[in-house]
Amino acid sequence: MFNTLTRPIFVALFLAAIGSLTACKILPTPSAENGGTGSAFNPDKMVEDIWAAKVIPYLQQKAGPFPEVHALAKTDPAAAGAKYGNPKKQANSPWTFAVRLEGKVVAANTQSRAATMDIDADGDGKADARVQIGPAMRGTALRDSLDFIQFNDFTNQIDFAQFGKAFNAYADKTVLSKLPREALEGRSVEVLGAYTPGSGQDLPLVTPAEAKIGPKP
Amino acid sequence: MKLTRRMTLAAFAGMLALGTAAPAYAADLIAIITPSHDNPFFKAEAVGAEAKAKELGYEALVLVHDDDANKQSELIDTAIGRGAKAIILDNAGADATVAAVQKAKDAGVPSFLIDREINATGVAVAQIVSNNYQGAQLGAQEFVKLMGEKGNFVELVGKESDTNAGIRSKGYHDVIDDYPDLKMVAQQSANWSQTEAYSKMESILQANPDIKGVISGNDTMAMGAYAALAAAGRKDVIVVGFDGSNDVRDSITSGGIKATVLQPAFAQAQMAVEQANDFIKNKKSPAEEKQLMDCVLVNGDNAAKLETFALTN
Repeated sequence: MFNTLTRPIFVALFLAAIGSLTACKILPTPSAENGGTGSAFNPDKMVEDIWAAKVIPYLQQKAGPFPEVHALAKTDPAAAGAKYGNPKKQANSPWTFAVRLEGKVVAANTQSRAATMDIDADGDGKADARVQIGPAMRGTALRDSLDFIQFNDFTNQIDFAQFGKAFNAYADKTVLSKLPREALEGRSVEVLGAYTPGSGQDLPLVTPAEAKIGPKP
Repeated sequence: MKLTRRMTLAAFAGMLALGTAAPAYAADLIAIITPSHDNPFFKAEAVGAEAKAKELGYEALVLVHDDDANKQSELIDTAIGRGAKAIILDNAGADATVAAVQKAKDAGVPSFLIDREINATGVAVAQIVSNNYQGAQLGAQEFVKLMGEKGNFVELVGKESDTNAGIRSKGYHDVIDDYPDLKMVAQQSANWSQTEAYSKMESILQANPDIKGVISGNDTMAMGAYAALAAAGRKDVIVVGFDGSNDVRDSITSGGIKATVLQPAFAQAQMAVEQANDFIKNKKSPAEEKQLMDCVLVNGDNAAKLETFALTN
């Protein structure tokens, strides 16, 4: 791009122009505006605005039955991703899958603020998945499952992170905080949500967008 | 080439003048600019990037800005002056860096950012950063578990000019603040520094002898804090760091620090050079400018597999 002749000129020009450069335009990109900067950024409002109109319909349309999704995710993550995942996920991020989970509660941990229920989805009496029921919730599975949410649309990781947390907060406020907390074992459960398979031995951790718990057996 | 490069490293302060007069051998130069190599994390980045650059047939110009935005601006002038084909940059400030990277872009030198983002898109070609928030959540969840969801704790925060200091602190608190029985009794910046963390921890401990845990924004500060705690006979205090350095790995395996969060620094730097190479040779930009790489929790279960900011299988 440069040769010996132009480079010194360029640098000289540049040095001469430093003053004007600093005053010169750094145009915000359209995407940065979409993500919102400064005081205009209100992640809770953004989630509230898209929840019923976009989030729930997307999950309903995309979600597969948990046992099916999880089995495929173990044998062929790419195929599971193509079917139940977010095709526009970050290239280096793991897949996050939309799932429908139905089953019975076999154990519950409501002592922790990050309360969970362990669900038997295939009727063998053993837990297949763990469902977060808040109020403290982990991860950003709901955000990461949606193909219309892009990191590049946000100013930085902090905004993107707050947006991710806003999904959990909204699910907790509108759905999870209304669920029963007592005598959960044996009850039937229906969940629509998302999960990111972990590498550890822990059960797959499902974050609900919708959840119903049946009456005591 | 070797000679010129050594001269540059020895005297990059006067480099601008030299750069303007330098001969046009720069067809194959990649500039690699990071914070000080005192922190092994930044050293791993520089080493990873330099190795990949050489492997792909480039000359590498390795420089450090010491988290000084003015110095960074001078180094970018140096890279432009030397006719670098690309700049690999771990930057010195999310806002302050925008103009410097724009300057390189205007001079026809593409920048590939690693580790830290800037508050603008469309200026750098790529921003490959660790998902610091996701990593901080992992660290905080482990911390909460180790603490038994209750007790007094201290947070050591990183350098304010580094956007990751804020992101990690936010990630920690997004998890920890959900537990009302966890009480933060002190929150101080130790500027990523081990020695500063040591002295800050000493005084915090004097004022708050009843602490149960310390969550630190990076590993060097965690090392400093743990050393101060050990010196005061308080090895019982739970310490969690961030970065995944070999020092903290050794501390974890010997029962000192409890956990850290690995950022794939080496792989990230190499990926940036590969994308720079693709851009230089094929005029091809990465599909997305901002690229997040997930972090991994390191504790007693997997610490032995950690080596130079990468986990082996």
